[in-house]
Amino acid sequence: MKHLYLVFAMMLVCVSMAFAQRTISGTITDESGEILPFANVFVEGTTIGTTTDMDGNYSLKVPEGSTTLIVSYTGYTDQKLTIGDSNNIDVTMAEGVLLGDVVVTALGIERSEKALGYAVQEVKADDITRSGATNPVDALVGKASGVQVTRSSGSAGGGSRILIRGVTSMVGDNQPLIVIDGVRTNNDTNLSQASTAGTAASNRLMDLNPEDIESVNVLKGAAATALYGTAGATGVILITTKKGKRGSNNFSVNLTSSVGFDQTTQMIDLQDEFAQGWAFGYLGPETGASTSWGPRINDLEYSTDPSHPNAPTSANAWNPDGTYRWDPNGFLVPAGTGNGRSADIHNNVDNFFQTGTQINNSLAIEGGGETATFRLSLSDLRQDGVIPNEEYDRKTVKLASEIKPTDKLTIGSSANYTRSDYVRVQQGSNTSGLLLGMLRTPVSFDNTSGLGADAAVDDPLAYQFADLSQRNYRGGGGYDNPYWIINNALGFEEVDRVFGNLKGNYAFSKWANLSLNVGYDITSDRRKQTFEIGSRTNASGAVFIDEFATTVVDNNLILAGGDALSNDFNFNYLAGVNTFSYNAKQSNVDGRGLVFPGFLDISNATNLTSLSNEVRYRTLGFYGQIEGGWRSILFLTLSARQDYDSRLGDPTNFNLSETGFFYPSASASIVFSELFNNTNSLLSFGKLRASWAQVGAGPPNPFSTQSVFVSPSIGDGWGDDIFFPISGTSAFDQSSLLGNNNLTPELSTTTELGVDLRFFKDRVGIDATVYQTKSKDAILNASLAPTTGFTNVWLNSGEMTSRGIELTLNLIPVKTDKFMWNSQINFTKSESIVDKLAPGIERLFLAGFNAAGTYLVEGNQYGAIFGGAFLREDSGTDADTDLNIPGGAIVINDAGSPDPNADDFNPEYGYEAVDPVQRAIGNPNPDFIVGWNNSFSIGAFSANFLFDWRQGGDMWNGTAWALSFFGRSQLTADTRVEAPTPINGVLSDGTPNNIPIVRDHNYWTSSVGGFGAVGEQFVEDGGWIRLREAGISYRIPGTGWFKGGNIGVSGRNLWLHTSFDGIDPETSLTSTGNGQGFDYFNMPATRSIFVKLSLNL
Amino acid sequence: MKIVSKYIAVFTLVLAFAACENFIGGDINADPNNPSDVPISAQLPAFQIALADVYGGAFSRFNCMLSQQVEGVARQWRSFNQYTGLTANRFDAAWTNVYENILNEIEIARRSALASDLNHYKGILDITEAFTLMMATDVWDDMPYTEALQGIDNTSPTFDSQESIYNSTMSMLDDAILSLNGAPGPVTPGSDDVFYGGNAQSWILAAQAIKARGLLHMKDYMGAMEAAQASFSSSADNLAFQYPDANAAGQWYRFNRDRTGDIEFHPTLRGIMLGLNDTMRLKEIDQIFITDHTYMVPDFLQELITYREMQFLIAECAFRNGNNAAAHEAYLNGIEASFARMGADGFADYVAQQEVDPGEGNLTLEDIMTQKYIAMFLQPETYSDYRRTNIPDLAPVSGSNVPVRWDYSADEYLFNSNLTEGSVDFFTDRVWWNR
Repeated sequence: MKHLYLVFAMMLVCVSMAFAQRTISGTITDESGEILPFANVFVEGTTIGTTTDMDGNYSLKVPEGSTTLIVSYTGYTDQKLTIGDSNNIDVTMAEGVLLGDVVVTALGIERSEKALGYAVQEVKADDITRSGATNPVDALVGKASGVQVTRSSGSAGGGSRILIRGVTSMVGDNQPLIVIDGVRTNNDTNLSQASTAGTAASNRLMDLNPEDIESVNVLKGAAATALYGTAGATGVILITTKKGKRGSNNFSVNLTSSVGFDQTTQMIDLQDEFAQGWAFGYLGPETGASTSWGPRINDLEYSTDPSHPNAPTSANAWNPDGTYRWDPNGFLVPAGTGNGRSADIHNNVDNFFQTGTQINNSLAIEGGGETATFRLSLSDLRQDGVIPNEEYDRKTVKLASEIKPTDKLTIGSSANYTRSDYVRVQQGSNTSGLLLGMLRTPVSFDNTSGLGADAAVDDPLAYQFADLSQRNYRGGGGYDNPYWIINNALGFEEVDRVFGNLKGNYAFSKWANLSLNVGYDITSDRRKQTFEIGSRTNASGAVFIDEFATTVVDNNLILAGGDALSNDFNFNYLAGVNTFSYNAKQSNVDGRGLVFPGFLDISNATNLTSLSNEVRYRTLGFYGQIEGGWRSILFLTLSARQDYDSRLGDPTNFNLSETGFFYPSASASIVFSELFNNTNSLLSFGKLRASWAQVGAGPPNPFSTQSVFVSPSIGDGWGDDIFFPISGTSAFDQSSLLGNNNLTPELSTTTELGVDLRFFKDRVGIDATVYQTKSKDAILNASLAPTTGFTNVWLNSGEMTSRGIELTLNLIPVKTDKFMWNSQINFTKSESIVDKLAPGIERLFLAGFNAAGTYLVEGNQYGAIFGGAFLREDSGTDADTDLNIPGGAIVINDAGSPDPNADDFNPEYGYEAVDPVQRAIGNPNPDFIVGWNNSFSIGAFSANFLFDWRQGGDMWNGTAWALSFFGRSQLTADTRVEAPTPINGVLSDGTPNNIPIVRDHNYWTSSVGGFGAVGEQFVEDGGWIRLREAGISYRIPGTGWFKGGNIGVSGRNLWLHTSFDGIDPETSLTSTGNGQGFDYFNMPATRSIFVKLSLNL
Repeated sequence: MKIVSKYIAVFTLVLAFAACENFIGGDINADPNNPSDVPISAQLPAFQIALADVYGGAFSRFNCMLSQQVEGVARQWRSFNQYTGLTANRFDAAWTNVYENILNEIEIARRSALASDLNHYKGILDITEAFTLMMATDVWDDMPYTEALQGIDNTSPTFDSQESIYNSTMSMLDDAILSLNGAPGPVTPGSDDVFYGGNAQSWILAAQAIKARGLLHMKDYMGAMEAAQASFSSSADNLAFQYPDANAAGQWYRFNRDRTGDIEFHPTLRGIMLGLNDTMRLKEIDQIFITDHTYMVPDFLQELITYREMQFLIAECAFRNGNNAAAHEAYLNGIEASFARMGADGFADYVAQQEVDPGEGNLTLEDIMTQKYIAMFLQPETYSDYRRTNIPDLAPVSGSNVPVRWDYSADEYLFNSNLTEGSVDFFTDRVWWNR
């Protein structure tokens, strides 16, 4: 890489002019004393200058009267030196902090920022580590424009989704390629169960210790990522990890420890006024009643008298000793008829959660001599979640080493080992999901059985009777008691991961530098999900074993070189070959029907089924790039890559050329500020850039080119399907998905324009980018008429247009010797419109439920929320042309009679009528995202804060939808006692609605209530403004062997403003998948406070 | 020297190209999880069970609801029962099962059978296909047939007339009988044949029975009777699939388990049976539709075509041809077989009643069809019998007509350009043989 420094340094040479009258010389070194060859030295206000030689020495003839020398070196802050009497000026350069001139680009190549014709943004190590996030993805929020991060929940070990410039692929993975030290790295999220149920799942980048990150570079557009070929189509996150520094006797030890505390943030507004029951009548837990439509809890009191007229009669209401079974205080009866003790109001939600803890220790030892460096780091993270018994532990070891036996040869290696252990809790849409049963529990029922939340965590008496049957508010049926779940339905996950690279570099000459980077990433993820006998999802008990083994090998061989061709022109080139292979195997054993309780092991299961699955593909790429520069003003880069992708291959009739696709890119930049006089104090830097690139992508899944046979499930959707083997016979039938060996790559073409302006000596910087990407031939799962013999086929058919604006504003509002304030604002606006789907398809399912799911809908933004809507006046008329909600007022259901005794009784008389057509009811994509990141330093103190603003972006509040049915939300407590009022709308004859109704238990359990056909009324604005990060720290001065340190307090997610009535809207039921914008009993988010101490020896 | 370096260059290129092919090609993109080819014996159970399952599933539920043996009383089934909820998408599953899970599989299997001269397999395939086509066209009338099953090569197959489909099934059955009477070929079907264990003679009987059913629909009463007489001689010959247990349970058991309360026993059938003092059979079938139902058991015997159907068919044809003696004998055989199937006692007492057995001379078509209606409880064929004969005389649940066919699948409307939405009126558009 050093060679490339030389190339770029050469570009910055200012040609020495004649008329030199005095010679000044000196040596330029960095703070550690290492010499800096090819640093620029020039006279301020002129183009007279030179560069240092290999030993860091320079010699410059300066004209008479010159007063100031400017020394610049890529990556270091410019130095201004007054020319005094001495002809010898030695300079020590400090590493640049802001607006560094060198950026890391594709394949880890460091290039002059001036030369780039596309947007790249760097996030520094400090910004990552001070965030306190244990997941590197979370640490990026708000720190780069064009980047959107969504944490799936506050579950310990839950993953986060990251997007660069919104979505790029219609059905494939839209998360960017993660490259660590030049190696493509697995950031998969493996799901064991349905995406809307199961447990939280990690994104595998969590296996990287954030303390090991040196810098993160975000490559946003197609031109920036073109050298990565098909894999880079969704953007690239380039992570460079820390290495030892070369020098003499450089040896240091860093010890960093932090302790963090997590708490849940907001929760849906629940009512605490009405007890379990129906139509204001009380129904006790023994009845199995699911709803909280009972009487006011203030109108109830306890009784223990079995002869009380309201005493429950069913057998399961009583213990063998004759006491009431479901509540130690007794059963509930109307006030005044019992023992005088008023009914308790039980908070089954807030009391359940605990303060989570995170303890994070890391140790790094690094050192370097003249020919070798190393850095060894160890870390240990122990996290106990806000949900009792939920755990996430991570241990990492990393060794980075490099030797340079000769001037020309460098050999380096980075090896990481990570061990992660998780204990997970069931969530989402399943009867063992934690919040599902918890939020539905009436306030008249105590999930802890009088033990209190702390004791109930460990005491089976809270959730289990002596006969081992389950104690919950529905008489043992319905949903698992939350304390049952955290004891009897846990998931265990252990991940071993080894990743890293081996790298060799040989510099033959300026024109030939050969490097080989061999990268590997091997993950073993072993899971065991348990369900004790009596669990609601698996009443006979179950143990599921899942193993995921993923191997990624990524090799690059690159020849590069370049030099100045003349004083004005320079040129460099790069040519490379990349081989990549991905292999993910999953094996699963489902064991059901446990013999006896208390032994949650597969050997205790009586009914075993198993399956295995393998996904594999390879790509082979040849790529090249040439770059020419004229002075420091004009730069042009051309690149090309030819990829061969096994996923396009037909295994029975393979033809290499059918798997290949070519993508070119071109970018240019003009540093127009160089054309002006350098002393222009207003504009210190100005650059325009433009790029064009075409990127191809193979099918989202391998094995799409051939039809296969599968073991069929048999049924017609009314009763459950049956599966082979049946009566000991196995069988296969041809898959309903037709293979297509005529697939061609998806193609997307991106045009990007940008401007980079810096004013007042870089105190103000604005970087703006606009882009448009048109994708065509997207490979979609298209439907076929069943009479073709198939129902689906992969087809090149989709078209999508994405466009966006990104702005980064860098400010240094205050800069004095003692006080410095750095401020950065990142603005992101992107939208992707689905132009075309497969023939005959109006919409394509991504994820979710029937009342509301996310779909691709022609003419709508990507991932539109689609579901049931109220009938509008224009529904079904000529004005109703698409799948959006039609115009006009809501039409009221006035068919039939409101009289229950009438023949044409209509129980929904006076409610909103339901549109027979499902509609696009929400758009989960935010209007824009803003991150405002600030750091201050005041002497030894520093502080930072980051505001994160997401404007718009709908969420379907499925939790509120369901809880309205159960009468648990505050909304239903308010509406059930309101005076009869007509709903705002019109009758079927168009006149204003005049039918007064009460939105009571009948309303909320009708087709316009919870679990009804309509999802529209629970689509809410999921936008927010939050204080994402804030902290203060103190730099401890060093003495002697103690080289100083840092102590600080910081917080994440400390303040949240949102109009969403539910948990924190930064949530995703489907984890990192494409279906976003749902809350259905998701785990709540957390806010965290950390204390962190870092010591250097 | 120049030539040598040229050779080296070419050689290097060839080598590089080969290396690329090996890295990307070969089996890398061949699905390691699923076979691209399977033997016919691995295919056969899949579409045989799929056929039995859809016959006892969608076809049984819709047909027996429309002919009022069962009644949709809750949720979607209530709206189906009132004919209002019978929208095209309700028939997607049945339509897809027929084409994708059965006919397309038979087509693939037939290619293997023809390639290796597997004559007995071919016979079984022909019979299965004939049965499937008849089952489907009896409710859907015209259907894609000659242009169907061509994948992406023909995404909008044209519709063939029911008449031509019937003609094809008849010749297919004749061909099958020839194939099955010949040598089996290199591989003989065995336990992979879940209906008959590969017994060619049983299949020939079934072919005759299916033929009889078809000829009856086409009003060839003489031909139908001859075929029926050449078919099953006892219920042991029935074309049927035995579901093993609750892990792979019969359709009605699964429906009652997973959709409890949606469908119940129909008052029409109950009324008819009570009117004939048919209490012994009634108590076997007139129970709440839950998993404890003693007829709709997990290990259900799913009959596709039966001896008792043939006996009633003979009774009807003989009656229509004026042969009352033969009609009477077959009539009683049919009732007796039905008692046995339902596990009911009291056959002798039952037929001793004048209303049930008015004697050879007084036997009416209504007697025959009414007893067939009872005996064919849950058999989709009941709906064809009703449409042919209007016996029993059903009162429409709503409106003035009982539907006379099913609508096509919504998927077909969406993706086949030869089918226009709204082109079917299922109250009036009778199928060809019912016009």
